[in-house]
Amino acid sequence: MHTPAVIFWTILLFASILWYGFLVFYVGIKAGREIRTMIAELEKTLLP
Amino acid sequence: MNLTLPDWIIIITYLIGCLAAGLWMRKFVRGVEDFAVAGREMDVNLGIASLAATELGLVTIMYTGQLGYEKGFAGSMIGVIMCIAIWLIGRTGFVIGPLRDAGVMTIPELFQKRFGSRVRWLAGLFVVLGGLLNMGIFLRLGGEFLVSATGMPPGWLEWVMTVLLGLVLIYTALGGMLSVLVTDYLQFLVMGVGLVVTSVLVIDHIGWINLVEGLTTAWTGGGAAHSVTQMTAHPFNPFHASSFGWGYLLWQFALNIAVATTWQTQISRVLATKNADTAKRMYRQTAFYYVGRFLLPGLWGAAAFVWYAQQGGLPKELTSLTAMPHYLSLVLPVGVIGLVVAAMLAAEMSTDSGYMLTWATVIYNDLITPCLRKPLAPKQQLLLTRLLVLAIAIFLLFYGLWYELPGNAWDYLAVTGNIYLASVFTLLVAGLYWPRGNATGAGAALILGAIGPLAFLLLGRTYPIAPEVAGAFSFGLAALGMIVGSLLTPAPSTQCILPR
Repeated sequence: MHTPAVIFWTILLFASILWYGFLVFYVGIKAGREIRTMIAELEKTLLP
Repeated sequence: MNLTLPDWIIIITYLIGCLAAGLWMRKFVRGVEDFAVAGREMDVNLGIASLAATELGLVTIMYTGQLGYEKGFAGSMIGVIMCIAIWLIGRTGFVIGPLRDAGVMTIPELFQKRFGSRVRWLAGLFVVLGGLLNMGIFLRLGGEFLVSATGMPPGWLEWVMTVLLGLVLIYTALGGMLSVLVTDYLQFLVMGVGLVVTSVLVIDHIGWINLVEGLTTAWTGGGAAHSVTQMTAHPFNPFHASSFGWGYLLWQFALNIAVATTWQTQISRVLATKNADTAKRMYRQTAFYYVGRFLLPGLWGAAAFVWYAQQGGLPKELTSLTAMPHYLSLVLPVGVIGLVVAAMLAAEMSTDSGYMLTWATVIYNDLITPCLRKPLAPKQQLLLTRLLVLAIAIFLLFYGLWYELPGNAWDYLAVTGNIYLASVFTLLVAGLYWPRGNATGAGAALILGAIGPLAFLLLGRTYPIAPEVAGAFSFGLAALGMIVGSLLTPAPSTQCILPR
């Protein structure tokens, strides 16, 4: 059961769960800011 | 139905939020450039969220779950290969760097600069043909997940998917890429939380040691001698002959290099970035996401296999495709299932919106525009692109809901995508890196590259052709067409060669 392949998939799976959890917060906050900046830039272009 | 009031509140709140955000963005759309590539204002993290949301659809969750059910963890090796391919391209900037610097809206537009308008038109046709056939099965597979996971009557499938597509259509047709980016962001958040929560609950339910031992027993034949409780592919070693094997995995590597540099829905994010460096960073930082894209739903599929094997086998009404969502309906508690259904709706909606927008842009930009004698006014351009989004939605509804999948979902997606991947990839590489390549070579590459996958689709039922053979042939023939066609005819003029 403790073959290298099983260990490989175990590490990869738990790393993926952690990575997804991290990305949701990290990218969530940063991309939220980028949307605000993008909208501010776009609003400038709407001004007469 | 497995849904309770809290589940419904979560789902409806999510849907209203998405629709409102999508509709709000439409006021910023002034022309086709804003509609198709968001005015090229996208920064790296928004790019990651959008790319990740678009490339992880409900269809992805279904076929990766099916791979997990049939091949155990080894089925997720394709995700590892994708991760390597995308990271390598993000590291080197191979194709995506010069493509972004060229300032085009679609890949075929680049071909016009390099190979002339005929090649652009033909490439656009192949891109659309491969892309739409590929997208054709999204709705049914997504609907089957929802039916199995929520316990809704199967007769509702068509109506639920029609309403869902209608919602996506409204904000995509009105707000274009700007709406897609903002809704992708919301969908990325909901989907990420749903994937993590579901994976933790599945491990908690099945037990990690029990899962590994269950798969090992099913493979070594220690379980009951019954086809539904035995796994015919090695569950941990993808290189084993019973699993994918070396040939298939090598084809997947070539295919994924081509996908990462050529697949128009991915490339549309590259083209929407601020510059080539942002595009490369976006690729590098998204790469590992592709491992989980296969591994997490693969985990759910493998857990479903072990669970049903330990219950005496898969119920007759279930298949390797529907086993995973049905299993989730047993595992997930009230309230969480609402979150997971919202997450899966998010996956479906972000993919549908991204794909509809991308193919509509290619049809407008590369098939219709080159045929017009007088350019359209900006308002007419926008109206035409919106009408194309509507036409694609109608196609999806009819083709997607009556087409019966011939076997494994992943193979169908890979082969239909390959209709244009091999040839367009060859054209891109030659166009950007081989000054001797010319229009004759490009035309030959396009036609020859499509022969392998079309033979698989048309003759595959009568004469079994391995998907990796069809795929390898298409790459080989496309390259041969480009080299021989270009060398046998005069070199292109220096004007046709892109500045480097």
